[in-house]
Amino acid sequence: MRKTAIPVALAAAVALLAACSGGGDPGSEETSAEETTEAAQSGEGVELTIWVDENREPAVAAAAQTFEEQTGATVTLVQKNFEDIRADFLAQVPTGEGPDITVGAHDWLGSFIVNGVVDSVDLADKTSEFQEVALEAFTYDGQLYGLPYAVESVALIRNTALAPEPAPATFDEMVAAGEATGAQYPFLIKTGPEGDPYTYYGFQTSFGAPVFEQSDDGSYTSTIGMGGDAGHAYAEWLAANGPNGTGVFSTDITLDIAEAEFMAGNAPYTVDGPWNITKFEDAGLTLAIDPIPSAGPETAAPFVGVQGFYLSAQSENALLANDFLTNYMATPEAMMAMYEADPRLPAMTSVADEVASDPIMEGFLAASENGVPMPSIPEMGDVWAFWGVTQANIISGAAQPVEAWDTMVADIEGAIG
Amino acid sequence: MSRQDTIDLTGPIDVEPPLGERGTGESHARRWTGGWGFVAKLTLMALVNAAGVALGWSAYVEGSWGILLGAVAILVVTNWVYFSRRALPLKYLLPGLLFLLVFQLFTIVYTGVVAFTNYGTGHNSTQEQAVDAALIQSERRVEGSETYPLTVVERLGTVGFAIVDGDEVRVGTAESPLAAAPDASVDDAGRASDVPGWDVVAYQRLLEDQALQEEVLELRVPVSDDAEDGSIRTREGTTGAIYLSTLEWDPDAQTMTDTATGVVYRANDDGQFSSDDGETLPVGWRVGVGFENFTRAITDTDYSGPLLRITAWTFSFAILTVATSFLVGLVLALVFNDARVRGRNVLRTLFILPYAFPAFLSALLWQGMLNPNADYGLINDWFFFGAYIPWLTDPWLAKLSIILVNLWLSFPYWFLICTGALQSLPDDVLEAAKIDGAGTWRTWRTIIMPLLLISTTPLLIASFAFNFNNFAIIYLLTGGGPRFPDTSAPLGHTDILISMIYQISGVAGGRADYGLASALSIIVFVIIGTISGLAFRRTRRLEEVL
Amino acid sequence: MAGPVTVPAQTAAPRRRRTRERRSRWLREVGWKYPFAAVVVFYAAFPLVYVLSAALATTGTLTGSTSLFTSISTANFEALGGTLFWVWAVNSVVIGLATAIGSVLMGATAAYAFSRFSFRGRRGGLTALLIAQMFPQMLAFVAIFLLLIALGNVAPVLGLDSKIALICVYLGGALGTNTFLMYGFFNTVPKELDEAAKIDGATHAQIYWTIILRLVTPILAVVGLLSFIGTFGDFILARIILTSQSNWTLAVGMYTWVSSQLNANWGLFAAGSVIASIPVLLLFLGLQKYIVGGLTAGSVKG
Repeated sequence: MRKTAIPVALAAAVALLAACSGGGDPGSEETSAEETTEAAQSGEGVELTIWVDENREPAVAAAAQTFEEQTGATVTLVQKNFEDIRADFLAQVPTGEGPDITVGAHDWLGSFIVNGVVDSVDLADKTSEFQEVALEAFTYDGQLYGLPYAVESVALIRNTALAPEPAPATFDEMVAAGEATGAQYPFLIKTGPEGDPYTYYGFQTSFGAPVFEQSDDGSYTSTIGMGGDAGHAYAEWLAANGPNGTGVFSTDITLDIAEAEFMAGNAPYTVDGPWNITKFEDAGLTLAIDPIPSAGPETAAPFVGVQGFYLSAQSENALLANDFLTNYMATPEAMMAMYEADPRLPAMTSVADEVASDPIMEGFLAASENGVPMPSIPEMGDVWAFWGVTQANIISGAAQPVEAWDTMVADIEGAIG
Repeated sequence: MSRQDTIDLTGPIDVEPPLGERGTGESHARRWTGGWGFVAKLTLMALVNAAGVALGWSAYVEGSWGILLGAVAILVVTNWVYFSRRALPLKYLLPGLLFLLVFQLFTIVYTGVVAFTNYGTGHNSTQEQAVDAALIQSERRVEGSETYPLTVVERLGTVGFAIVDGDEVRVGTAESPLAAAPDASVDDAGRASDVPGWDVVAYQRLLEDQALQEEVLELRVPVSDDAEDGSIRTREGTTGAIYLSTLEWDPDAQTMTDTATGVVYRANDDGQFSSDDGETLPVGWRVGVGFENFTRAITDTDYSGPLLRITAWTFSFAILTVATSFLVGLVLALVFNDARVRGRNVLRTLFILPYAFPAFLSALLWQGMLNPNADYGLINDWFFFGAYIPWLTDPWLAKLSIILVNLWLSFPYWFLICTGALQSLPDDVLEAAKIDGAGTWRTWRTIIMPLLLISTTPLLIASFAFNFNNFAIIYLLTGGGPRFPDTSAPLGHTDILISMIYQISGVAGGRADYGLASALSIIVFVIIGTISGLAFRRTRRLEEVL
Repeated sequence: MAGPVTVPAQTAAPRRRRTRERRSRWLREVGWKYPFAAVVVFYAAFPLVYVLSAALATTGTLTGSTSLFTSISTANFEALGGTLFWVWAVNSVVIGLATAIGSVLMGATAAYAFSRFSFRGRRGGLTALLIAQMFPQMLAFVAIFLLLIALGNVAPVLGLDSKIALICVYLGGALGTNTFLMYGFFNTVPKELDEAAKIDGATHAQIYWTIILRLVTPILAVVGLLSFIGTFGDFILARIILTSQSNWTLAVGMYTWVSSQLNANWGLFAAGSVIASIPVLLLFLGLQKYIVGGLTAGSVKG
């Protein structure tokens, strides 16, 4: 039996295969022939892959459709979790499977550069149409590596039902004004047990303690800037406003709680970004936006994050991808669509002016003008793990402010190496 | 269509072969030759062979020799196993083993390979890509240079650019710098539309011809005879600008030369370009580094301090989690394995609830509920009279919370398994015990428990190993916190070995060192594998009682 | 039920005593199990009250406060219709069932081999299976990605973004724990049974399909359920492999709703989770009669 069985099985296999190829192969030849003839008339068959996240997909899809119509190329939008894009882009571009274009945040640039996964972009004459801060954020060593589309920063959001007047310019006065409203919380800021140095950063800079020092042209060096007296003053201020002090800050207030309490109308002021405005308004609040008040001697400068599109260094369709970015995305229409899909401040000046008629957007625009771009140097990745927890421990009283702050600076310096 | 369909079936087919077994093997095979079972087996094997041959053929066409080799090996082995009268156990093991080998062992082997390289941030890919990136980063637009309308032109297979500079059309190629083309005409869009002596390449043609696209993107047309003046390049095929590159790549000498400063960067053994005075270019590539990652893993002083504490907690966490959830699951299974309890179906289904929700949602839920402030934290509000109990930020309470939350998450698993296990206990043994007059407790202790342990001990070991590496629960609930106050590494009281690896390797911070992380993974694997192997050996005695 | 064969001569007092005895026995042996069940159900379910509360709420946070059910609306459930939720649900169920069936078949055949045949490397094979499961898979994403790129170039159905590829990857892990789970049970089936059958001339295949598998039905159901739940809830592998939205599973798709910490849509996610838990519970309800089948048979006998 053994002797006969193998040939029988193989014969059956061959028969099956023949049946398969009988149906399949000529068909695929036909289609490929069709493709070549059609391709003679258009760019069909060329495929551009773009990674987008859920929020921005519709807007990019709109621009992609125009592009498809005019060039005949196919644009494939791959929806990703925004948080995953950085790691996936780094891992996949070298394999050749990555996208041609991806949406991303400017602070990823540092790691994209050292990994060589990103191509430079030339906006040519369109450069002047974009806000300086947005272009700067996507610039590394004098080269532009992305098309910025939105600028965002946190600001002081005010519930006008509780506090109709613009917020005072200093932290203490704001808290006093907040207390005067009689609301449960004079001021709400999300903190959590791991801290939130991003949201707190405006206060930190008002003490003159930036995370990294900036060189004259505005680019960040890898020298920690938050040590010394300025940092100590900030640390002590954090402790003084924790549960052992005024009680304004609490590590119990997580993101969820801060949002829920603010939406419930229990606080006149909170620090948050434009991404939550729709949610707050849906909860029935009327809002106004003020700049972040200063807690220290200087102006509060929150982080400005810039969102944009990166071009893969290994794109096989770089020409088309460039065409798409510079001629289809870098247009006021596409930028407006992006704004409508995901309301963040447009990086294109003309579009920003257009939406600034909305007082909320105008408020965020004004707040972001005080801001500084979030560092995009690779060293920034090593900072967060120490920074947040130290702040949380100082606020909760689990650590001595000055001592903990110095340890943190030393630890970060050690991690950066 | 049909080729795909055949391959399509590989999954189910490989699962099926035992069906074919009905007609084979030993005496049976002879009696049933030509019978239904034999036909079924033959059909299935034919399908497997067809799929395998199809896969091998496309692998051959694509030049994927590894896959071709794999497909041939699988075909040979499968046919041998199912048409031979020997290899009886393999007939049963093969389908699962094949999947295991291809999809599971590959990741282990790959991690092993990565452990000996410097794969990670800055050494992300091949040298070729590093060269690309270095060239991209060094080439920049000449300051103040204009953007020119550009047309791609072609003559005798040579591609060139025609730009419109003011009123003048100028044309050039890689070899011949831009020169005026006086008789050229310009279209409405301002681009050269007709250049005598050249064929104008339509933009549409450019779009569809990928090879041409690449050529155009790589083309640099010198502005003049002086290389310092820079060259015209285009990015999207319709405009050009003057760029100047400062780096030059010499593939033969493996050097990058900075034309502005004259510094020569050589490719070194670490996968980087370095100059004589030690300066390096930012982008490197993957190279083998031998045992370097392993020595670093063992000698890193930053981590040797907390290592002991973290190892101790990792073991306690894994053991306690398994013990608590097993006990709770077992007790529930025993208690409700009782025909006299009405509504058992509904009750059992409700017990499964924690298992039916996405685990990460549950972890986040618990994190919220364990908020120390009773205004926000449900646990303190409902069960502790509004006391302020810092569940997640006190070192010991955080450990307790993790174990309790993990208990909640995993007791349904053990409940399910123990219920199944109880059902499979041979009735006659139980009845015999009953007849012998053994009491409930004695039956339980001397009969049920030992039998139950035989079937569940390997699972207890597996569950121990799973929790040993249960990164998600730690990450979602406490993030490893509260931090150790006395170490400089970002590690805390609830960090386990795997979350420590995550921190050390920098995967979290965007400066990943996959080589180091892989080496550490392998070290942890060796530790846990050895322990489990030993534990498993001990259970052998237990098993041989039967 | 009580006293079908009453003896007329009995006085009322002992009868009452007997009822009381029976009652206290019932309380001791059965009755207490109800309050106990209530406690367990409470323990299992109370955290999920939050999920339900968030699913029914109009505002989008998950654990904002201890006040639950402040607003009730079905808006989140209705909003699911505007997403690809139902497509993902179908994908999840299909992938989950395929994986569950595959896992059961492979695990059971392997367990049979390990339990009933003695062959060289049996012990080593078992240990190796157990230990292979323990590899920390934290970095597996790179390897799996590369493997599927290579396979996909040759056979697109086995490449990235293919549900079949995902099922194959899941089946790659099907042997380990499942084999053990079943191995233990196969061992509790007395070997005399199949030896007797063998003497009667049954082949190993007949023994396997007609004798052993019937006797271990409970564990087949348990393994099937466990691998369904595991697959249904997995989002790490699914996220790597399924790249296009219409191929996503529920876990991957719903994760995108909350992946951005700043802008999470917890309401939608909670509503989705409530619905997504239904297939698991239904499957359990359906499989229960197999899992506890042995018991009913036994109790009828007893």
